Amino acid sequence: MSSTENAAMEVEATAEQKQAESHLARNVKFLERGIAAAEVHYTHRALRTIFSLRKRLQSDVLAEMIATHASKSNSQSVADCLQHAAESLGQKHVVGPATKVCEPEVCLFLCLLVQLYHLDHNEHERGAKLSDVLVGAALGLQRRTLDPIVSRVIFYYSRFFEVAGRLADARPMLLKALQTATLMNMKETKAMVLTLLLRNFLNYKLYDQAERLAAKSSFPTDAPNNLLARYLYYMGRIEAVQLNYSQAQMHLLEATRKAPSTPATAGFQQTVHKIYVIVELLMGNIPERSLFRTPVLKKPLQPYFELAQAVRVGDLSQFQDVVSRYQDQFLKDQVLILIQRLRHNVIKAGIRSISVAYSRISLRDICLKLHLDSEEDAEYIVAKAIRDGVIDATIDHEKGFVKSAEVHNVYGTSDPQHAFDKRITFCLGLYNESVKSMRYPGGDHRKELAYADEAIKRERELAQEIENEEYDSDSDAMDDAMDEDL
Amino acid sequence: MVGVPSAQELSGLYDRTRAELDSPRPNHNAVKTQLSQLKVGLVKIALHNAQVELDPKFQLTKRSILEMGAEFSIKTGDIPAFERYIAQLEIFYYESKHGLAESNVMYPLIGLNLLRLLSENLIADFHTTLERIDLAQLQSNPYIVHPVKLEQALMEGSYKKVWQARAEVPTPEYLFFMDILMATIRNEVASCVEKSYSNLPFDDAKSVLFFTSMDELLRFAQERRWAVSPSEKRITFPSTTENTRMFQGETIMKQTLTYARELERIV
Repeated sequence: MSSTENAAMEVEATAEQKQAESHLARNVKFLERGIAAAEVHYTHRALRTIFSLRKRLQSDVLAEMIATHASKSNSQSVADCLQHAAESLGQKHVVGPATKVCEPEVCLFLCLLVQLYHLDHNEHERGAKLSDVLVGAALGLQRRTLDPIVSRVIFYYSRFFEVAGRLADARPMLLKALQTATLMNMKETKAMVLTLLLRNFLNYKLYDQAERLAAKSSFPTDAPNNLLARYLYYMGRIEAVQLNYSQAQMHLLEATRKAPSTPATAGFQQTVHKIYVIVELLMGNIPERSLFRTPVLKKPLQPYFELAQAVRVGDLSQFQDVVSRYQDQFLKDQVLILIQRLRHNVIKAGIRSISVAYSRISLRDICLKLHLDSEEDAEYIVAKAIRDGVIDATIDHEKGFVKSAEVHNVYGTSDPQHAFDKRITFCLGLYNESVKSMRYPGGDHRKELAYADEAIKRERELAQEIENEEYDSDSDAMDDAMDEDL
Repeated sequence: MVGVPSAQELSGLYDRTRAELDSPRPNHNAVKTQLSQLKVGLVKIALHNAQVELDPKFQLTKRSILEMGAEFSIKTGDIPAFERYIAQLEIFYYESKHGLAESNVMYPLIGLNLLRLLSENLIADFHTTLERIDLAQLQSNPYIVHPVKLEQALMEGSYKKVWQARAEVPTPEYLFFMDILMATIRNEVASCVEKSYSNLPFDDAKSVLFFTSMDELLRFAQERRWAVSPSEKRITFPSTTENTRMFQGETIMKQTLTYARELERIV
């Protein structure tokens, strides 16, 4: 019985193997077709199947594929890559008798699969070594069609180093990759490398270096949405630390919009939303409650929800309470220092609610309500709040009270106009962007073009004929005329 | 290379300069020339022998020289020089640390740098530097806690606390930047006071603005063009009534033209 079971399992295993092999072979064909037609979307199609292939990778299948593609007529760098890949899998590498040249794209694709295999099996050292070789070779090859594959290879390169804790060592190679990508106009690689470098700097809290990099380099505008979302998130974090809250808010909001809202991206959405809530609080706006109710965000954002409540109420003791309770969580999210800045926001909110509620209130009462240290402190704080435009009031020093100015009609000012203007520009911008990104269906477009081409050609021929005819008829007429004269 | 000093010569010169600086009446000019000699010596050694960067003893000497330079620039009030020394010391303090033991003037110097950034109102740089410091130090180290508390007090607007913090400085060198800071916040307080009070009696104005004598107050009032009335002993502040109903023609025109242009583009 067991032998039949074993035999059955073997048959299954080989069947799976065959399936995996056929998948791989199909992808390789895609890539070759892509190179032949110089079309990028074949490469993208092959890369999309990686996601499903990933679960079914086995080292011997990969080694076999590598062996079939290792021929004597490969270029040196391709041969090197294949050799390293095979060795890292622990399989012997034999340069086979096949004479077909293995294109660099196919080679890198196979090596990318090997990288994924190592990552999934937690073999970080081997993966890191292999990635080193791959990135060096890929940058040396400098072919633009390699763009999507190279960007993924570099991503896993950085990931291996990050998992091993040696992220700083990845930096020199990443910087070189950025240089090559910019020179060769490899947009996707450039976008990927920029994002990875920012992540690298932020990991070591080198905010000013990250800011300088972002300022000096230009992120390609037509990068895929995933990369754009990540880049915007990192930009938002840098700007939040540098007190540039309005820019940070814009970038973070865009990041949440660009990222697809599938279950797989839940982690990203949570992280972005955490920083977004803090930036909103720092700007003085309370984020909407409905934000905290979305099912994906409900639990992770619970501490932030309580924080927002404390800031809204303006109670300093409640704020301190929340901060000390969730200190570890905030530390893990690396936002503790940003939260310390929220202290004065709490006081501002407190002052604002007081001045709205009271038309006249003594400084002593303010001091008591806000738990401040002394009346003089309260006086200074209120004076600063008035200067910053938080409240509209005057202080009467001798009698020691604060008198709020009367509330005037908002519609009488130009505030509604500015708000409308902002919304209108946003909608128009959105419209323009959607027009720019419209796509026409591929095949039909070409057929139409061909048809139009032919039509134009025919028209031109017709026109030529007519011209010639006229000329002939003219000369005929002239002959007739001459004949007549005669 | 001409006259590359050996490591011993360098440390000898360093010891002499240190002694001079620590003496009760240091000769500033002499120290200054010795410091520049030290710096040139550092560069020469590094140029001559690239491997020396990995030598821990050399790194220690280099760091001590830079720290001494920073201290000296505070004593003479040379802020750009202090900035330069701190920039060079950053490599030692934040990154690999070259395997050296922690210097005991590290945190005072970092605290001084933070205070300098505050006094020059470079709040963004203040916060980026803050991020790089260990969290444990932020909450416990008195040298760091002092500027952090100051910054919070400044943001809230409790300037009284800042004035009181003068008495609590960890080291006397902090006082140098505190004075610059007081000048900055005096301007802040003045602008707050202008908007929130309609008028103030002299004595109150004097205490609010942290002045010690009436003359300073009057001079300050003149600079800021406040109406001083000696008879009632009051200062009246010009009231800034914003005309919110003013028709902002140019903005409206620009906006409307933008709308028209964009609408025309819609096919």
